[in-house]
Amino acid sequence: MPLQPEHIEKFFEEEIDSKFKSELLELLRERIDKLCFKECEIDRIQCTLTPLCTRRMLLKLRLLNGLTIEDQPKFCYSVHKNIIFRDFRNKTVIYKPNDAYLYLVDFFDVFFHGDYRKLNKLFSKKDFRGANKIFDDRINNRDENFQYLLTDKKKFMIFKYDDKIHVCFIDEIYALCNANRENISDLELLYGLCKLFTRIYFPEVKLKLIPSSCVQITIIIPKDTLLTISKVPPTDEESKRDNYIWNAFPSDLDALSQFCKEINIFNDKKGNLAIRLNIGVRPEARMNKYSSAELRYRDLRLVFNIIYRLYNDFYILYV
Amino acid sequence: MSEKDQENPEITKIKDFVKDGRIDDAVNIIALYLGDSTQDDYLKRLEDIFEMLLLLHGGRVVLRFLIEQLVIDIPSLLENLSKRDSVLRYSFLLLLKTLCENECDLFLPHSEDLLSSDDPNVREAILQLIIFMAGGKVEIEDESLINKITFTLADEKEFVVEKATQALISIGKKHPLWVTKAVTNRAKESPENEELKSAVDSVLKSIVTVEKIDEIVEEAHSEDELIEKEETEIIDKELELKRKEIEIKKKKIELEEREKELDEKLILEKEKTLKLKEEILEQETAAPMEADLIPKKVKKQLKKEESDIIDKEIELKKKDLEIKKKKLDLELKEREIEEMAIEEKEKALKIKEELIEKESELSQAEIELKQKIIKEKEQKMIESEIKRAVSEFMVLEDEEKDEENKIEKE
Repeated sequence: MPLQPEHIEKFFEEEIDSKFKSELLELLRERIDKLCFKECEIDRIQCTLTPLCTRRMLLKLRLLNGLTIEDQPKFCYSVHKNIIFRDFRNKTVIYKPNDAYLYLVDFFDVFFHGDYRKLNKLFSKKDFRGANKIFDDRINNRDENFQYLLTDKKKFMIFKYDDKIHVCFIDEIYALCNANRENISDLELLYGLCKLFTRIYFPEVKLKLIPSSCVQITIIIPKDTLLTISKVPPTDEESKRDNYIWNAFPSDLDALSQFCKEINIFNDKKGNLAIRLNIGVRPEARMNKYSSAELRYRDLRLVFNIIYRLYNDFYILYV
Repeated sequence: MSEKDQENPEITKIKDFVKDGRIDDAVNIIALYLGDSTQDDYLKRLEDIFEMLLLLHGGRVVLRFLIEQLVIDIPSLLENLSKRDSVLRYSFLLLLKTLCENECDLFLPHSEDLLSSDDPNVREAILQLIIFMAGGKVEIEDESLINKITFTLADEKEFVVEKATQALISIGKKHPLWVTKAVTNRAKESPENEELKSAVDSVLKSIVTVEKIDEIVEEAHSEDELIEKEETEIIDKELELKRKEIEIKKKKIELEEREKELDEKLILEKEKTLKLKEEILEQETAAPMEADLIPKKVKKQLKKEESDIIDKEIELKKKDLEIKKKKLDLELKEREIEEMAIEEKEKALKIKEELIEKESELSQAEIELKQKIIKEKEQKMIESEIKRAVSEFMVLEDEEKDEENKIEKE
């Protein structure tokens, strides 16, 4: 039987001698460099249309480990940036550039082309007032349709274009574009995302940060709305709220339980129904299963969808 | 497609036409749409068209019509694509793949010119199209194109070299001999260029396999034989031509000599007639000329004039003769030069023959060497097997002896 990836994984777990580990890792590093610089990038058509690593993940490997643009395969990176740009402009792309990382300057070049040098300077000096002026000018005077939010400790800036989320990691000097399957690794970032979505979609939902633990979201279903809901399963298909509460709500609660640390449902002093979600970067349900499993952007989107529905159908409609 | 493009009525019209199968109408509208563009927005419009064609089902057919009807011509298309981003450029090249494979006549005539373009992106693009063409039905048998591609093996851009290598490999799969020849010649031309050598190496390694060596050698021999035959035929014809030329020259010289003789004879006859005329005139003058009432001075003048005319005629003839002599000398010199050139050609051909002979000798020597190595290996194998057999035999003998000893002891 030939050598399998699991064997190497096992070797790394079991082998004590670091010399052997470093030798193996050096072999891997050499192979990666050869793949990028000698095999893939040399044929530019191949590198553009069928890169030798899935979705250019080796660029991400270098970028997330603090390597600069000089250490990247330049043509590959240029194509990567170009694909994000084309996708942003709704042009045809070879693959959807979800969870694509860019250096901050290139992120500004793609999304704020005319001001990218200025923005890069302002971000490097952490002059976010100046940066906000540019963003506001684009929104108000140039018909650009996006929302943004700077997190409390100024570690992240979140941009939302339609249904796409981009996150600037200010200290790390890179940005995540079209965040989807990546983990939300920081509570500050999670709180920022919740704040941004709350501001846009459900402004009257209560939001609270419990430091170094979770974000608390409380949705209220007014007492009067509760009284209108049928006490027996609905037969009429037109009563959407009844149908939702009797048919879809249990499965939504089940879904929420997967992504929340804790869910509390209770009646408040006024007799309203309160649904309180405690969302952490590491959901309770996953904590025991996989050590690395964290809350992903797509998970959070699902949570927001449920909140949005509850908010619109049971709060706003009633008010 | 961007949202703005979707609003563009012309693009939507074209889309609808293509979807309805009205290819001609679509092509006409595209022609008008591109024709109406200014220098600034031509590329933008072209990109819009490409974007649309990339996504549509009948896009390739429309593209073929556009190229056939010269609405889009290949050189300017590749040059324009070079200015756009790589994703669009390469996906568009991919769109041309089937067209290249089936109708390479549309592209081949432009290939050599585009290979010498200043823009490396254009050179890369045409090499990619050549790769597509080589993978298609029609075989690329243009030796000058192959030679031109070998020149791009020494291109300053690495990605062009890579494409040239791939192109030569794909052509070489069908015509290994042509490519090996072209590539080795190119390597010989610039032996100091290490990058070129490595590119040539990779081409040769990909083309020459154990299975194909015999084919190449056979083809090379047959081609050498053909060349030799052609060369001997050419030499024979050249020799015949020389002989004929020499004969013609000889005949010309003879004719000229005869002309000279005739001229001389004519001159002599004219001189004789003139003398006779003079004599007659003198006799007439001896008779009572006074009766004719012609004054003596006039007669003398006439005589002088006549003699002057004769002198001039003689001088003219002499000059003619000199000119003819010079002409003959020039012709002789020209013949000498021609003969020299022919001799040089013969020498060059001989050198070529010698080179071909040496090459064939070398290849034979290589084959012999390989055979020797194989024989040596076989001999070694046989020897080792014999040794093993002997040792086994000895062991068996020892065992038999031991058994015999045991039996004796018992």
